[in-house]
Amino acid sequence: MPEQPRPEDIIERLLAEQRLSRRGFLRKAGATGLTFSGAAAFLAACGGVEGTATKTTAETVAVDHPKVPITQLNFSNWPLYIDKSVIKSFEKEYGGKVKYTEEINDNQEFFGKVRQQLQQGQAIGRDIVVLTDYMATRWIRNDYLTPIDKKNVPNAQNLVEGLRAPNFDPSRQYSLPWQSGMTAIGYNPKRTGGKLSSINDIFDPKFKGRVTMLADPHDSASLMILADGKKTADATIDDVLAAIDRIDEENRKGQIRRFTGNDYTTDLAKGNVWISVAYSGDVIQLQADNPELEFLIPDEGAVLWSDNMLMPQKAAHPYAAETMMNYVYEPEIAAKIAAYVNYVTPVIGAQEELAKTDPETAENELIFPSDETRAKLNPYPTLSPEDENRMLEAMQKVTGA
Amino acid sequence: MARRALLTARRRRQLLPYAILVPGVAWLVVFFAIPVLNQVYVSLESGTIEQGYAFDWNWSSYGTALSDYQEQFLRSLFYAGTATVLALVIAFPLVYFVAFRGGRYKTVLLALIVLPLFMNFLMRTVAWQTILQDDGFVADTMRSLGILEEDGRLLATRTAVIAGLTYNFLPFMALPIYAALEGVDRRLIEAATDLYATRWQAFRRITVPLAMPGIVAGSLLTFIPALGDYVNASLLGSSRETMIGNVIQSKFLVLTDYPTAAALSFLLMLFIVVLVAIYIRVLGRRSLFEAAAA
Repeated sequence: MPEQPRPEDIIERLLAEQRLSRRGFLRKAGATGLTFSGAAAFLAACGGVEGTATKTTAETVAVDHPKVPITQLNFSNWPLYIDKSVIKSFEKEYGGKVKYTEEINDNQEFFGKVRQQLQQGQAIGRDIVVLTDYMATRWIRNDYLTPIDKKNVPNAQNLVEGLRAPNFDPSRQYSLPWQSGMTAIGYNPKRTGGKLSSINDIFDPKFKGRVTMLADPHDSASLMILADGKKTADATIDDVLAAIDRIDEENRKGQIRRFTGNDYTTDLAKGNVWISVAYSGDVIQLQADNPELEFLIPDEGAVLWSDNMLMPQKAAHPYAAETMMNYVYEPEIAAKIAAYVNYVTPVIGAQEELAKTDPETAENELIFPSDETRAKLNPYPTLSPEDENRMLEAMQKVTGA
Repeated sequence: MARRALLTARRRRQLLPYAILVPGVAWLVVFFAIPVLNQVYVSLESGTIEQGYAFDWNWSSYGTALSDYQEQFLRSLFYAGTATVLALVIAFPLVYFVAFRGGRYKTVLLALIVLPLFMNFLMRTVAWQTILQDDGFVADTMRSLGILEEDGRLLATRTAVIAGLTYNFLPFMALPIYAALEGVDRRLIEAATDLYATRWQAFRRITVPLAMPGIVAGSLLTFIPALGDYVNASLLGSSRETMIGNVIQSKFLVLTDYPTAAALSFLLMLFIVVLVAIYIRVLGRRSLFEAAAA
């Protein structure tokens, strides 16, 4: 039963060839994910924190993964989250065999799957797993990870400033962002009869029953906290619960049509709803067929989360994993991935690389946000395990399941 | 020598029935008994996903399941019940027509009823999202006929969920009834009319009672899966239409609260067993066994 796939996942898979792709799945990552990394980290980084490689803190652990021939790499990621040619070129360049598995559909679900081995201190047979910030937090907190040997990942210096020192891993000892994404508002200005600018606009009674929200409180509650003029980075559980109360209130009024997974994309594309709490990458992909759709980064700000590459405890091929991390932090490779997945790229230089081949995508503010936009992006709130559970349970009451 | 051969042959014959039972029993043990026991075990654990769960006879999950999710239990009962009745009302005339008037098109007509089953369950449900969409033909027509308010909708409503359930399980209602009707001895109906029964009387007193095993079987095959279904509610409904299946799904996968999820599933099973027992008691056990034979 725990293995039972959600209908949304299966459908997304069926629709995969339409390339609703990564974002759809990703949205689920975001849906379940927490990003601690956004603005707080951004500010911290602006405050003069150097690249992680040089940063020494009390928690820095000595790690040395000697260079060995690359034979095998077990890489678990979300579906449609990479341009597969990257895997091939990696194999060609470094040798060995990459077993790339698209097995992560949901942070919680994946954790449930490997939980027992992790808790017993065993290897889980994977060298890299990609998990959203809040789940990365959990793995770091419980010591389920192998630290990254930075000597093998010199390209980590290409990590964008804002993500270099997240609360959960201030020196990026254990994690390296794979892709980031924004949670904000996707809408159809033709239907709403004009542009929106604020998060609170979605509660205009004119749009009653025409709004969807993500069922995951990491996203929806964070957005409501921002709507309230607060910052998510220092939000407490009380702020989160108040935000969920507000969602409940609007839902009881009938303002919110549904709480969704990635399936809001269908409703939005078909015009059943006019406004969705949405992921940036989803909307970019929807725009291909529905050019009138827009993604709004509201005045109050938006949420920025990341999915992170992590090496589980007792990973069998740490050097290979680090080599892969280093490889995808080559701007050229990062550009290739960005062009395919349409998420926010954490790699400096990828934009310039992409400008050479695909200038239009390189200009996209939602894939390569400007500094001005980045300043408006906020991480998920930082919560203790108990509080996080309270949040999930409160939201479950609102969504009725 | 010959005697020994005879003996072993006899023993073999005695053992044969048990040998035949082995695959079935093994199947039941591996895919039913063990999972159910495991589920009960999990439902009595306590802990958290991060700390791990440990077995300690913790019955409180059952309390939570019963006190917090009555609404979804009752709603599931209502939706599944309504869908079953609707499926019966739709399926009966349909297969009656096929069985009695189908003639040489019988096979084709029957195939048409079964055909949707060849398509994936999820895809069929997603198709209903398109059929019922706000600007779609169905909703527009209903609006112009005044059945639906000007700003009314079908998707994300109770109507859509029940319609989806009815549609998805219709073949399971239709086929057993068809089998029962096919088996009705036409001469009995003829005899009834010869004895001055009106067509209606003959239908009510001959055809329907003879079709009863099919109706009972069809109702169970529709009601039971509909009760536990979560796909229709999640794709065609909203937070106001969640069923017990949705709660179990989110307990397992979103909250990773395995004990409560297991307790809920176990209660659902128990609930179904009790309902079925009452149903069979009321309608008579005979019809169920006949249905099984049919």
